[in-house]
Amino acid sequence: MNLELLLEPLQYGFMVRAFVGVGLVAVVAAAIGTFVVLKGLAFMGDAIAHTAFTGIAVGLLLGISIHVSALFFALVTSLGVVVLTRVSNVRNDTALAILFTGVFALGIVLLSTSPGFMGDLNSLLLGSVLAIQAREIVLIAAFALLLVVVLVLFFPQLVLASFDPLGAEAAGFPVVLFQSLLLALTAVAIVISIQAVGVVLVVALLITPAATAGLVTKRLKLQILLAALFGLVSSFLGLYISYFFGAPPGATVVLVATLFFTAALTIQRLRSRGGAAC
Amino acid sequence: MKVQAAELALDIQNLTAGYQERIVLRDVSWQVPRGTLAAIIGPNGGGKSTLLKTAVGLLKPVSYDALTLLGQSPEEGRNRAAYLPQGEEVDWAFPITVLEVVLQGRLVRKGLWGRLRREDYAASRSALEFFGLGGLEKVQIGALSGGQRQRVFLARALVQEADLILLDEPTTGLDAQAQHELADLLVELRKAGKTIIAATHDLDCLTECFDQVLALNGRVLAVGTPAQVLTEEIMVELFARHFPKVGEGGEVMLHES
Repeated sequence: MNLELLLEPLQYGFMVRAFVGVGLVAVVAAAIGTFVVLKGLAFMGDAIAHTAFTGIAVGLLLGISIHVSALFFALVTSLGVVVLTRVSNVRNDTALAILFTGVFALGIVLLSTSPGFMGDLNSLLLGSVLAIQAREIVLIAAFALLLVVVLVLFFPQLVLASFDPLGAEAAGFPVVLFQSLLLALTAVAIVISIQAVGVVLVVALLITPAATAGLVTKRLKLQILLAALFGLVSSFLGLYISYFFGAPPGATVVLVATLFFTAALTIQRLRSRGGAAC
Repeated sequence: MKVQAAELALDIQNLTAGYQERIVLRDVSWQVPRGTLAAIIGPNGGGKSTLLKTAVGLLKPVSYDALTLLGQSPEEGRNRAAYLPQGEEVDWAFPITVLEVVLQGRLVRKGLWGRLRREDYAASRSALEFFGLGGLEKVQIGALSGGQRQRVFLARALVQEADLILLDEPTTGLDAQAQHELADLLVELRKAGKTIIAATHDLDCLTECFDQVLALNGRVLAVGTPAQVLTEEIMVELFARHFPKVGEGGEVMLHES
């Protein structure tokens, strides 16, 4: 009976696509999110997601691929920030916040000019994983493969550029190239995640499983694998729960991931307290 | 005395440097021959870090008449230079092991498509042995003491085969014994032919074993041997504030400028 219950959602094609799509997205986002967490770039991720939204709005209005236009906006944002942090030594969070909320507002206004698209607003903001199509899954899978290839090829270089950018650049290592690569991958992960959980929650997919894994291990490769695992389990559990309780799927996935983090944090705190006592 | 450029590890003539909104260094000229153990001393904000960062190309100079690293432009010369950032600029919680940090010394030389090979691991392990860190290969970098962290970064400079090692405030957070051990290591490295330039705001034991001292406070106040530079007159001008000093009878007095 339990098995029947478990398999029940899978008799629907849209649910199968949702499981595959969200599962892939969660793994990709969590893997790249590990670097985002290590470099303290969560805010950056939020900025990329918001400008990607405007990219989608522009794509809808112009009738071009929303993935291409979203990716374009996301890449411009992320690479723009690389330039910004290099030419200026002041803290950039204020400038970044003004810029990305402004661009985001522009996206909403643009969408509203065309009443037919206002229905899309809700699904863009909160995700529409149950509407995910097979060709979108192919796209996500292609990006997932790309990410794996890049990580395997350049893992030590990415670690070097993340851990000691000053020392590496001082020795002539192309740090900016790898910092840009990392942010470009982040932009890609965000764009393919927006359909699953929406603009507002996409950062959670990026950072929450990665932060949870960071509480469990201090070994980077293991942290990436665990982050992917936490992302995968959160998305599957979240989808099941949303199916049986009629909750919004994107938000439920994020909620489950947050609960995982809270549990890991509690266990870690209890342990360190126990360790201090003896 | 004019020294041939090729024999200089660092040659700076009339350098003005700093940040867009703030010039930190004006008209700085300094020549460091190869095989020298040199210190840059001066107050906080006096431009020690700015000088080091400009020398290795982390900061673009505003203007200069000459700026060479190991006889080459900073962009070329820095391939054989190692820069050890200030402790506070390193994320010690980063999930990386001691061995992985040292291996990075190999990777920076290999660049974009670099692959770590068996001999890179062997060189890194023996560098760790050399600095007395054998057995700590798999420890996360942040679990080490301040002195051990410095030695890990020195081991990385060694496997990088750097001829010039620049250290930014290496003694911050080290206790007296660790400072002495670091000084001994730097002397060892110089004996092995390395040029070492360390910036420090402490007038600690390091200055005693250095060949050359640059007193820097926005401009060059003095340059020479420690005995020439560490005079009361220059120190008062450099730090322009009160500092403790030991009197002739061994008593500690407070010097007021």
